[in-house]
Amino acid sequence: MKLKKMLAVGAVVFGFASVYAQADTELEFWTMNLAPKFNDYFNKSVADFNKANPGLTAKWVDMNWDQIQPKLIASIAAGNPPALVNFNVPWVHDFAAQGNILPVDTYMGAAKNNYSVGAIKDVTVNGKVYAFPWYNSVSIIAYNKDILAKAGVKAAPKNFDEFVNDGKQITAKTGVPAYAPKLGNFVGWFYYAGLPVVENGKAVFNSPKHVAFVQKFADLYKAGVMPKDVFKVEFEQEIAAYNSGKIAMMTTAPQALKRTETDAKDIYAKTGVAKFPVDAGKMAFGAWLMDFVIPKGTKDPAAAGKLGVFLTNDAQQVGFSKATETTFPSTKKGNLDPYFQAGAKSADPVEAGRAAAAASMDNARTLTIPPGVLPDEAAMTKKLQDEIQDAVEGRKPVKAALDEAVAAWNEKLKK
Amino acid sequence: MKTSNSYTTIAYLFLAPALILMGVLTFWPVGYNTYLAFQDYSIADGSSTWNNFANFKYIAHEELFWNALKNSALYLLIVPVIQLAALIVAKMVNNKLPGMTLFRALFYIPVITSISIAGVVWANVYKYDGVLTWLLQSLGLLHDQVNWLGEPSIALYMLMIFTFWKGIGYYMVLYLAGLQAIPSEVEEAAILDGANAFQRFWKITVPMVKPTILLCTLLSTIAAIKVYLEVIVLTKGQADTYTALFYVYDQAFRNYNFGRAAAAGVVVTLICVVLAAIQFRLFGDDKK
Repeated sequence: MKLKKMLAVGAVVFGFASVYAQADTELEFWTMNLAPKFNDYFNKSVADFNKANPGLTAKWVDMNWDQIQPKLIASIAAGNPPALVNFNVPWVHDFAAQGNILPVDTYMGAAKNNYSVGAIKDVTVNGKVYAFPWYNSVSIIAYNKDILAKAGVKAAPKNFDEFVNDGKQITAKTGVPAYAPKLGNFVGWFYYAGLPVVENGKAVFNSPKHVAFVQKFADLYKAGVMPKDVFKVEFEQEIAAYNSGKIAMMTTAPQALKRTETDAKDIYAKTGVAKFPVDAGKMAFGAWLMDFVIPKGTKDPAAAGKLGVFLTNDAQQVGFSKATETTFPSTKKGNLDPYFQAGAKSADPVEAGRAAAAASMDNARTLTIPPGVLPDEAAMTKKLQDEIQDAVEGRKPVKAALDEAVAAWNEKLKK
Repeated sequence: MKTSNSYTTIAYLFLAPALILMGVLTFWPVGYNTYLAFQDYSIADGSSTWNNFANFKYIAHEELFWNALKNSALYLLIVPVIQLAALIVAKMVNNKLPGMTLFRALFYIPVITSISIAGVVWANVYKYDGVLTWLLQSLGLLHDQVNWLGEPSIALYMLMIFTFWKGIGYYMVLYLAGLQAIPSEVEEAAILDGANAFQRFWKITVPMVKPTILLCTLLSTIAAIKVYLEVIVLTKGQADTYTALFYVYDQAFRNYNFGRAAAAGVVVTLICVVLAAIQFRLFGDDKK
């Protein structure tokens, strides 16, 4: 059914396209869940691109994220894929491994140096770049100045050890849990700390370094620095806890501050903002990169590459961030734009948050295990999370918990 | 004059709308699911290939699935509790005192409350500094704060209490219908014979609502085996609350492994069928 419909639509589009074929090459690009909110931005972008590139006609199509993969597969099968498709990082690795998207190194050319190092690493598979990095976000720290002052903590933490020690000091002096970082994906924390998870097809997260790292969380939990239900804390719960003064710091995306601004004016008035410190992994925490890929079989990949470079250049990315107000460019210069930097000295937390996040963007990495590495991701993640939770909440020694998770992973990886 | 043949035709015509809907929304998915259980299904292009029972072999050796089955089996503990409680409550609200309609409504409200909303409310009940901790502390029964949904030793039972609260009204209504079918003469005669309330309940009420007990036990057994919405809204499978259908859900929508999810679903279905057969033996009328 779907395939037939796609074919029919494809035929119609192709039919129209062939009428104008002599004049223009149509470049259709798909995005995820951005219409109708950003219609103005995309209509202008398309007009700008078409004006600057005679002979090429860009055409914007937005769809729901869960339609992208099936529709793309159908269109590749029908020999009529679009020029560019908006992907996230796991999808890039998945489709690159299948050979369903093209490497873009040659089309990117010198523009490659414009993107931040972390963004290029995110979309590099086996040494080849497979996507044009686009918008991203990253975690910051928002803290309650009153509580920190009461605890005698003078400045926001500059590295992870300071983050740990400050937390202990805050809770010891004030009795308030210091923070509730999201622990729902502990693999991301290992990457953040620069610790490997899977190497040469084997799980390796039970080394003394891993044990010591998890032990820090267990100590924090035991001292009450993290609330008892920290493993249930997600985006919403963290904001609610911070807004009601139940935790001293939020470690979250900058848009959370907008909620504090509207929901908890008192707390907002005494909120300070800082970068989330980087650790040995040299990675900013909480990033999730969006990008554009060129599907296999697209009519004119070079022209598609031109559109990809255009949509992700500095000016376009800054423009898009201004439209969303909550996302950040993945280009080096983009984050230096006055729009982001103006808030650096601002007393307003939302503006300061924007500057703090922009300053972290160069280290932003999307911290996931690439798809296909884990044979049964749901069960393996569950095993790891269960063991970590037992260890952090003090039901099991850290070493024993990690050993058991590693053994379970290796049994699955062996198959 | 209508022949019995045309009556049958008309009967099927009246059944048709419901049958078609059930066919499309129930029987077809069940059949297709069973088919998928024996296949490698590729979500991207919709193709599937026979894989020689690989899905079943995999889950047979999967510790997580066995653990999930264990939790689902443990969940069956709720069946006798909720049935007995629902019957007693039905008995209590089945009299003509003023205000009974209000009580009936109160017991029924949780049934019609959306589970996602009830989940948010109960998450606050069970929060370590939430309503339950506060209540027990102010009664002097508890010293330390307890993370009700975070302790593996108790979290599953907390889910059961939630299910109990959510479900008791439903069975109460069914029992109420059963109770109202009991002629009042029987009970009056028993009173004259000197039977006390306890005896009347066990010797008259229970035997006379036996068909309803079978129905309700069956429904609540299947519901207990199928528990997964409670898990999604309250614990997401943390703290040893991973149930069999949550495994199915996780495999389908986290792993996108629909074949394996289908196989686990088939196993759960078979367990339901076996349990239903046992219950028909225990509570059903002997046809011999």
